[in-house]
Amino acid sequence: MITNTLQDPILHLHGYMKKIFFTFFLLLLAIVFIIGITEAAKKPKVYIKKLKNNHYQLIVDGKSFIIKGVCYSPIPIGQDYSHNFAADPNQPWLVDGKLMQAAGINTIRFYKCEKNCSYTKKLINDLYRLYGIRTIIGHWLGFWDYPGPFYADKDFQEKIKKEVLDTVNFYKDEPGILFWVLGNENNYSFAGTVQPWSSQEIDKEPDAQKQGIMRAKIYYSFVNELAKEIKKIDPNHPVALGNGELRWLDIANEVCPDIDVVGCIIYRGKTFGNLFNSLKATFNRPLVLIEFGADAYDAYAKKEDQNMQAFFLESQWRQIYENLANERQGAGNCLGGTIFEWTDEWWKHNECDQASWSVHDTGAGWSNGSYYFDIKAPENKNMNEEWFGIVAISPELENGKNIRIPRKAYYVLREFWKNPILKKKEKK
Amino acid sequence: MNKSQIPNPKSQTIHKSQFLNSKLSVCNLWFVICNLFVIWCLVLGIFPLFAQDNLETLKDKYFSEHKYADFTDYLKQARKKNPKVEAETSYYIALTRYNQLKYLEESQNWDEYFSSGNDYRDELVAQASNTVNLTSPQDSLNLYAHCLLWQFHKDQQDVFAEDALKALMSSVEEYAGKKEDLRPIKYIADKLYSYGNKSESKKLYGIYADKLLKTETKEGELKKAAEETFALGNISLSTIIYDSYINKIVKAYPKEKSLPILLTIAKSFSYKDEGRSDADYAEKIFKKIEEIAGASSALDEEASYIRAYNLEKAKVYPGSRDKYTTLINRFPDSTHYEEALYKCGIITAYILKDIDRGSEFFAKLAKNPTISSYVISSIYQLGLLSQWRKDFPKAKEYYSRLMELTANGFGDTRKLTQERLKELEKDGEIEYNLKTFLGASLKENFDMSKIDLKASPYKVLKDKDTKISANTPFPESGCMNVEVTYLWSGHLGTSSTPANQPEFTTSYQYTGTKEINLVVMTPSGILEESIDMADVE
Repeated sequence: MITNTLQDPILHLHGYMKKIFFTFFLLLLAIVFIIGITEAAKKPKVYIKKLKNNHYQLIVDGKSFIIKGVCYSPIPIGQDYSHNFAADPNQPWLVDGKLMQAAGINTIRFYKCEKNCSYTKKLINDLYRLYGIRTIIGHWLGFWDYPGPFYADKDFQEKIKKEVLDTVNFYKDEPGILFWVLGNENNYSFAGTVQPWSSQEIDKEPDAQKQGIMRAKIYYSFVNELAKEIKKIDPNHPVALGNGELRWLDIANEVCPDIDVVGCIIYRGKTFGNLFNSLKATFNRPLVLIEFGADAYDAYAKKEDQNMQAFFLESQWRQIYENLANERQGAGNCLGGTIFEWTDEWWKHNECDQASWSVHDTGAGWSNGSYYFDIKAPENKNMNEEWFGIVAISPELENGKNIRIPRKAYYVLREFWKNPILKKKEKK
Repeated sequence: MNKSQIPNPKSQTIHKSQFLNSKLSVCNLWFVICNLFVIWCLVLGIFPLFAQDNLETLKDKYFSEHKYADFTDYLKQARKKNPKVEAETSYYIALTRYNQLKYLEESQNWDEYFSSGNDYRDELVAQASNTVNLTSPQDSLNLYAHCLLWQFHKDQQDVFAEDALKALMSSVEEYAGKKEDLRPIKYIADKLYSYGNKSESKKLYGIYADKLLKTETKEGELKKAAEETFALGNISLSTIIYDSYINKIVKAYPKEKSLPILLTIAKSFSYKDEGRSDADYAEKIFKKIEEIAGASSALDEEASYIRAYNLEKAKVYPGSRDKYTTLINRFPDSTHYEEALYKCGIITAYILKDIDRGSEFFAKLAKNPTISSYVISSIYQLGLLSQWRKDFPKAKEYYSRLMELTANGFGDTRKLTQERLKELEKDGEIEYNLKTFLGASLKENFDMSKIDLKASPYKVLKDKDTKISANTPFPESGCMNVEVTYLWSGHLGTSSTPANQPEFTTSYQYTGTKEINLVVMTPSGILEESIDMADVE
């Protein structure tokens, strides 16, 4: 009894303490769980994560996401850029989406979206819901407006801002949206040789280089302002700056704190050279190659050459993968890319001649020595704008759509994405 | 050579029968002997001593027939038989894969490229790395393997290229500190040079030249080495060896003996329409000559002209004008006197933008009582500058004088003058191309060296063709075409109105120096402008 009376309170106390600890533990667990849920709820659907090694990852719905994409502009034979393919009752994206999914493509990029277009919304929704394909939406920022892109003019800026914010407002809640791209190769206008624009202050400056810097500051400041405004209405998606090569990005670095991603348009042939490290040094943001690729027409031999296209694309993707996050020796700042482009566009070579929209023109529009197989073509013009698709289109119709014929690049990339063989590290 | 002549490890019996075949040619016999020697080396285990040279020979044979897979199999078998040769065979397997990938791309053998390309790449890196690991930097094979890895990464333009270059350079430097054999250093320096890695190749050429100096103490040998590399087109190495040679002779010889040697070197490097030259290096030697001689009078008339002309073609215009002025002052009876004076006028007025001083040169020449193409051209320039300055009466006076003097010749300048006179008859407004050039060159601040404007050849015979071409650096514009207009003017020869193209071919019917003007326009204005001079002899 004595023993029992002595032991009982101790046992009792011990059991009591156990209960307290257990309750406390449960409470702690609940708190951690609630905090976790709240934090997760706070995170945007799509965001950039900077890793401890200073590499960048794109996080989509809580998971890392490598952009394996294509620029999507499925203009049918006989139509030109003004054709609204999203309103096509034959819904070509359903065929395309299936083919894309089979190849491992998870993203498409639109250069522009029709304003308040419910068809486009449906297209985005269909691709995401049926095939898990996400969409990058771009805006030209009035680059092709007539009489010119007057970025120094406040009224012009306001007009563009309204267009951009309307677009964001209309599409932002679509679950398939990945991010926004502002501009394309608009920076090439800074030198005054293409789509020139100016202001009184710029005209007063006699030094052409300084004029360029002035234009860059005006334009990039405007883009940053747009990014800031977009984030106010859509915190769920990053904002990218579309840029031709890396030209002028040192200026963007000074005036674009609100830009999350750099989207580069690059045509450097077999690889991207020092692009990834150069970007790190000039404007340290994650990089998406929003336009790159190779055409499938040999302008020298004057015949289609699917192998040539596949060769360049495979090599380009190998380098993209070398520079993704956590690749030990890469720059770690690449998030992926969108190939130019999904299907051929037959209107491009001579857009003023409507009859030529129904002809697959073999004329080359510009020269690029990095695509060396056919650089000896007349006048060194070797880039055939109508032959960039990794999928060819046939004049023959199936259910109202031009029949899709995947090129070799499609298959080569499909295999690459299944098993991206990266070069093994040299062993010391 | 047919397929059966190449040893295939899977068909050794064929080799034996080949050996026994009495109809074997001498070449075939030699090839089989070579193979047998490799096998003998393998058996005796002395492969590493001899194998590399023999494998080189075998490699050449296999590569010439693009039998890369066969050679790889052969090497793998050799390694199996004698593991001591692992380093050598690994290197050659890597080298084979490297060449195989290049060949698949060149020959556009895409099926194999896409199906096996990644495997070959992996094997290349693994085997070359294996050689690096199995050898020390004192072994030339180690250097070659490093070099191959760097070449591979450089070709791929991948992220490993920078590290591979660092590893290569440090291993070469380590090797150079301990070994006397210069061949691997030269080989790697040449490779770096061919890939455009100029600073690294220069560094290695420096090491090579230093070692060469230690072993080749005779000046004659050094001179021979410098001349040979120059003749082979390796200007970078040649200048390094010449520097060492010059240092040596300057110290060893009195200036009476060293100066003529230096002058010969300077002339050989001076600009020429055909053959090798390095205008900058030539000028460096000319300066050295002046330094040693203690005065600019060290150069005779011909050398003075060569120096001025060399600077003109290097587009070092202020220097060129100074040297032409020196020639004018020191050699007033020179056969190049008028040419020098005229060129001084052109450079001063249009490039250095000093119209008054430029006009003085032209005026001096215009006073010459003996009529020549230079005198005529100078009068034309004086008229043109007056017209541009809106001094029409003065312009007309010059042009009229020119018309009087050229009644029986100088048709090209006469024709230009007639055009100017017609303009004066109207409102004096100069035609668009020429007016744009004058406006840009006399008023604006363009850097004339930006356009690579040239004539090929510069010194052209009467009625013979010369190609005028302009390479303009355009601002980047992606896939958007920049609309460019080429405005040519001046003495353009028979092709007096070339189409709006960056190049054209022309010929001249009259001797003298012909100025060629170019303005490159974009829709937003003048992009660049330039002037050049061809000499018709």
